[in-house]
Amino acid sequence: MITKNIIDSYIEKIPPSPKALKETLMLLNVGELTKASKVAQTDMALSSYLKNLVNRPIYGFKNEVTEISQIFGILGVSASQQAVYNYMISLLSPSKWKLFKLNSSSFRELQAELSRRWKNILEHLEIDNKDIESAITLLPASIIVSEALFCDKIKDINLLRSVNPIDLNTVLMRLCKVDLFDICEQIAYKWEMPQQIAEIIHAASGVKPAQDETTNLLGKWMHLLLFYTLSQPMFIEAELNDFIDFQIDYVGDIYDEFSQVMEIE
Amino acid sequence: MRALVKNGIGIFSPQGFLDGNNNASFLSIEDIDATAKLNVDMILVSLKKVIFFNRNGLDAFVKMFIKVRAAQHITVGFCDYDSKKFTAIRKFYRSDLNFSLFASQEIAELFASSYKNQNKNVLLYNEDKSQRSAMAIELHDKGHNPIIAQTEKEFKEKSTNANAYDLIIKDSFLGQMGQSIATRVTGNAIIYTVSSFLDAEIGNTFNIAYHNNSLNVGFRLFIFDAYKVVSMNVHALNFFSKLSTSGAEYNATICFVGMTFEKTPKAFKETLEDAGIMFYNQMDDILQNKELLEELGASSAAAIANKRVLNKVMVTELPNFIDATVATIEMMTNSKASKEAVKIDEIKIPDTTDKIASSIGFYGDIDGMVILVFPKEIAKKACELLIAEKTDDLELILDTLAELVNIVGGKIKTLLSDQKLSVDITLPRTYPNVDALLEIAEKRKGVQVDLTFNNDKFLFFLTR
Repeated sequence: MITKNIIDSYIEKIPPSPKALKETLMLLNVGELTKASKVAQTDMALSSYLKNLVNRPIYGFKNEVTEISQIFGILGVSASQQAVYNYMISLLSPSKWKLFKLNSSSFRELQAELSRRWKNILEHLEIDNKDIESAITLLPASIIVSEALFCDKIKDINLLRSVNPIDLNTVLMRLCKVDLFDICEQIAYKWEMPQQIAEIIHAASGVKPAQDETTNLLGKWMHLLLFYTLSQPMFIEAELNDFIDFQIDYVGDIYDEFSQVMEIE
Repeated sequence: MRALVKNGIGIFSPQGFLDGNNNASFLSIEDIDATAKLNVDMILVSLKKVIFFNRNGLDAFVKMFIKVRAAQHITVGFCDYDSKKFTAIRKFYRSDLNFSLFASQEIAELFASSYKNQNKNVLLYNEDKSQRSAMAIELHDKGHNPIIAQTEKEFKEKSTNANAYDLIIKDSFLGQMGQSIATRVTGNAIIYTVSSFLDAEIGNTFNIAYHNNSLNVGFRLFIFDAYKVVSMNVHALNFFSKLSTSGAEYNATICFVGMTFEKTPKAFKETLEDAGIMFYNQMDDILQNKELLEELGASSAAAIANKRVLNKVMVTELPNFIDATVATIEMMTNSKASKEAVKIDEIKIPDTTDKIASSIGFYGDIDGMVILVFPKEIAKKACELLIAEKTDDLELILDTLAELVNIVGGKIKTLLSDQKLSVDITLPRTYPNVDALLEIAEKRKGVQVDLTFNNDKFLFFLTR
């Protein structure tokens, strides 16, 4: 169904990150918001993405924000960096989704919701680190990778799952000894994202706890946040709810705290 | 959402958070209906991967459950939860609890008709005395040995010796149980469950097409589990007599188990016996008696009267059948297949060592049977994806092989439906060696395709 070669050629085909993006990220990294916004403006797709993103209801701005410099100013350094990473990930998303019932708008909604809530979580955990804040952007890459690898195998997958309740990540693991999150890690390397981002994403799979305590804790929060978000009607209907296995025991010890942060009654 | 059907139980497994906003997205009445059509005797929602739920979240499911139970007479409810979740559900519903709760899927299986007579030793306790008795009766009825703890203290004491029991039941609740004709396969016997009053209605509820195709696939022993039958009238008598005589040409045997003739005329028994039906008091009289089981269930080619020939439609669809098989095996083993020879003749298997086989029948717009002969190694490899481990346990391999062949059958069904041909598939039958297969397939003519998967020879045979 899926072989190691298919995975390798998929990773091979991932384009390097565009020059303007690299420069924007580099400038954001050193805190040069004005210069970064000028570079970002040269990439039309990026500016349109950023405008679309921050004007979503979850960001809660009263008036429409249109200027890139304004956007970076409002978001601040870490959230701006996160927004640019979100854009990079969205570059990988297919023009037409086949496996999951998503479109570019609902995918952006997913990115926006994850990012926003991750920020709340990090505030609650009193963590102020822009790389950790950006880590959430890589999580939806696992969905894109699933779509890319399995979109032509929908019927096979459905038949297989009619006799055995296995999730896509396990199928991939058993067939190729590589899982979705390994592939996300490769993407992170290719795009020169900080090492810590890849490590947190690995822990967020719920099946590979990290050795480092903080990374593992962040992985737990991210795993639970993913399923909290995927429990929304919109994403259940997109058939995202069971694309990977929810490791309920892994997140058991942080659930009460999580429900406070998310204000679940 | 799709349900996973195993041992006669359809299970839906939502993940994450369950509330009034999202429950309709998880499960629709169409999903439940589609599952009910698969002849299941229970439909459950697993709460194993649900970290949060509230009453609104469960309510929509419960409403659908009640509707389906009324129409299909099946057991409905929730399973796979811990004590905390169980207490929450009891608190939400209190005296309105009219669906079932099973702490685990294993516990649910004990109460399913498709999993009877496994003779499990079960320790059970429920603070409600009537629940305690209801469970004990159901368990006994299903051929298990319930051991009832009368007090919580006694239950705790007995639970410490966990090794003494196959299963311990707690935090469970029996709502209204369903009743339907359930089908299951044990060894190579098909067991139908019938209950209450058998009258002309049996002609509608019994799936005769399924039965005929099971005969065609090679099943020879059909057992009617009639423990719960109160009485039978003359219409049902005629139905069973006809069923038995029509199976005679296949050398098939029909048995009734546990049927009492308290409220049914004794003369009926004689008439049924004249038609060739046998009566046993206990299921174990047949299932535990290996010799008898072998004698009654052995496939026999002795009298397959209707030697049917392949027809044009079948030959036209042949590539679809082969594609479905090849694609499935390729998918499961991650290897490439190549076709070697195609011929129309009786089945010929040159090398019979270390081969296992399986057959699956299909019926509807076209009918026939696909036989697959595997080297054990390919079967093992294909099974690795399903059970995630290497194994030499032949029984486990055969079971998983049956699932694999089920996938092939499902795939054939989809491919044919693309051609506007609608078919249903029978349960797969497996054969531990080639001789067992040849007993039913030897004299049949069909298309034989020899395939190679990474140097392993594999045989596909399509016949009617």
